[in-house]
Amino acid sequence: MTTTMDRRSLLTRAALGATGLVAAGAMGSLAPETAFAAATQYPEPGQPDPNFAEGLIISRNQDLLQVQGSDGRLHRIQLTGVTSVWKLRPTTLDQVRVGDGLYARGVLMPDGVLAAESVWVNIVNLTVSINSIGRSALQLEHHGQKVVGYVQPGLTAAVYNGTPAVSDLSMLKVGRHAQVIGAWRPGTNEIDIATIYASN
Amino acid sequence: MAGINGEVSWFCCGNAWGPCASTGRGACGTCHSGNFQHAWPNASDACYAITHPDTCGISGMSRRTCGFRHSTTNLCNGSRVVTSIADCGPQTDLFCGERACCGGTCASNRIVDLTPAAFSAIASLSAGLIPCSIDVG
Amino acid sequence: MFAHQMAAAQPLLIGLLLLWSSYGKVAGRDSAEQARRTALPRLVGETSAVPAYRAVGAIEAVIALALLLPPAWTVEAVAAVALATGFTGYLIYAKIVVPEASCGCIGASARPVGRRAIGRALLLLATAVAATTAGNGWWSASSVAVAAVLVLEAALFVMLSAELDRYWLLPLRRLRVGIAHPLAGTATDGVPLAATQRRLLLSPAYRAVNGLLRSDIHDYWDDEDWRFVSYTARYDGRPATAVFAVPHHDTTPESVRVAVVDETSGQTLYRPTVLATAG
Repeated sequence: MTTTMDRRSLLTRAALGATGLVAAGAMGSLAPETAFAAATQYPEPGQPDPNFAEGLIISRNQDLLQVQGSDGRLHRIQLTGVTSVWKLRPTTLDQVRVGDGLYARGVLMPDGVLAAESVWVNIVNLTVSINSIGRSALQLEHHGQKVVGYVQPGLTAAVYNGTPAVSDLSMLKVGRHAQVIGAWRPGTNEIDIATIYASN
Repeated sequence: MAGINGEVSWFCCGNAWGPCASTGRGACGTCHSGNFQHAWPNASDACYAITHPDTCGISGMSRRTCGFRHSTTNLCNGSRVVTSIADCGPQTDLFCGERACCGGTCASNRIVDLTPAAFSAIASLSAGLIPCSIDVG
Repeated sequence: MFAHQMAAAQPLLIGLLLLWSSYGKVAGRDSAEQARRTALPRLVGETSAVPAYRAVGAIEAVIALALLLPPAWTVEAVAAVALATGFTGYLIYAKIVVPEASCGCIGASARPVGRRAIGRALLLLATAVAATTAGNGWWSASSVAVAAVLVLEAALFVMLSAELDRYWLLPLRRLRVGIAHPLAGTATDGVPLAATQRRLLLSPAYRAVNGLLRSDIHDYWDDEDWRFVSYTARYDGRPATAVFAVPHHDTTPESVRVAVVDETSGQTLYRPTVLATAG
């Protein structure tokens, strides 16, 4: 599949049912839920997962990342065209920068490189209290540490009592608690807020 | 303890990057974001006093201490991980009443927090919150 | 003279402040826990931290009572100056050497040392120094002007005390937000991606293809009445893309559609036609 527009157009038609299915016989009658190629091997409880990496990106050579884990391990992570990248929103490979923090899940290759399937850059999930609300940011407190949470128009969404996320943030209250999914700004105590779940 | 249905989120631990730098190694001293571990609301008396699942009307949440194994199953896709307790959490009483349904099974209230390694094995970290079923692992 | 009366009145304020401060250290339920979270373990060693914390509280109480009760001796004020100097020095040490340590200042709060805490310690030092010039006990300084200045000083202490924010600062902020919410203009017609993602994850379509998915959201776009979200997938060993179509105007879980498309050929490999929910 060629350009992004062509690709999206093809995928759109497929999703809406406007394309023909490859004959079922050619595929065999595999129930999709059981179509896992190989059962993923999970580690023992309490143990590190070799197919998962966490740390700070210390260098990037084309699409190979060197990541320093907080447990002292050094990871090598390979990004490919099929790797999904989250950095406040789903984005492209070039947005992954040296100095960013990341979590990555993929498949550990025999040579020790993690072939990344999903990468989440600078993602944080914090339980905070809202100290004050400004026009472009919320002053939050996370376990006694001050965190500034920036509101990104068109992106930041709020969830009130489990109802569907909305862009309207005007029901957030000072002094209440919240859960915040966001993207940390490296080197600072600031984050950009993707979703804020307001507590009762 | 029969399976409890609820919602699962994730948390970081282990003095990692960003806001995680000051979180320490959890209440059990062994927690790390890359390990298959979880936080449990009834890991100790002190823990229960913070999380208070009873505020949400949850009863039958047994006292389980560090190292105990639970299995968490994503109700929406059937994926399952077995993890061991490494910390106290989540703050159940702050989010009472949140509810989600998947394929005919509904779940309310936050009952467990997984490390990023464990959560990403059954759901996407960007999703934040997933209906789940907890069992003894 | 006014200045003398002011100086004489200071011990009242200092005494009350020190009493409040000492209460949390000595009588507080989790004072031992508080002590361990401060920079004291770093300063005097792990085992001495809790006794040191309680000892400071005891000294505060003693100086406070001395200042509040007659007779009024200058040495009491000098002791307060020494104590305040010690506080200020310790807070600056804590902020620089152990920045994540809690202040351990007053009451049972576990906040790190901030500029306000240091400012408050300096204010205490200033009032203690003023108190050393006093000739009489605070009970002799009675005039409206002195009382007014004391009230202002107390207000200043309150404003520098982060522990007390929830009694005045937070209500003030709530009021301000209640009058005109700073984020009132954020509501739009657009649907946030977070809402689409949640709908998708709770849908039968997701359940049908989850075993094939290999990544988090790879791409997303809007087209007329639909939002499309794509994931990397693998079908029967072949690289593929799973694309979900989430309609804006039909919010039922069953309305979410999905197709799995071969990455190389572009052919549609799988598209569930009947998305049954579990019985």
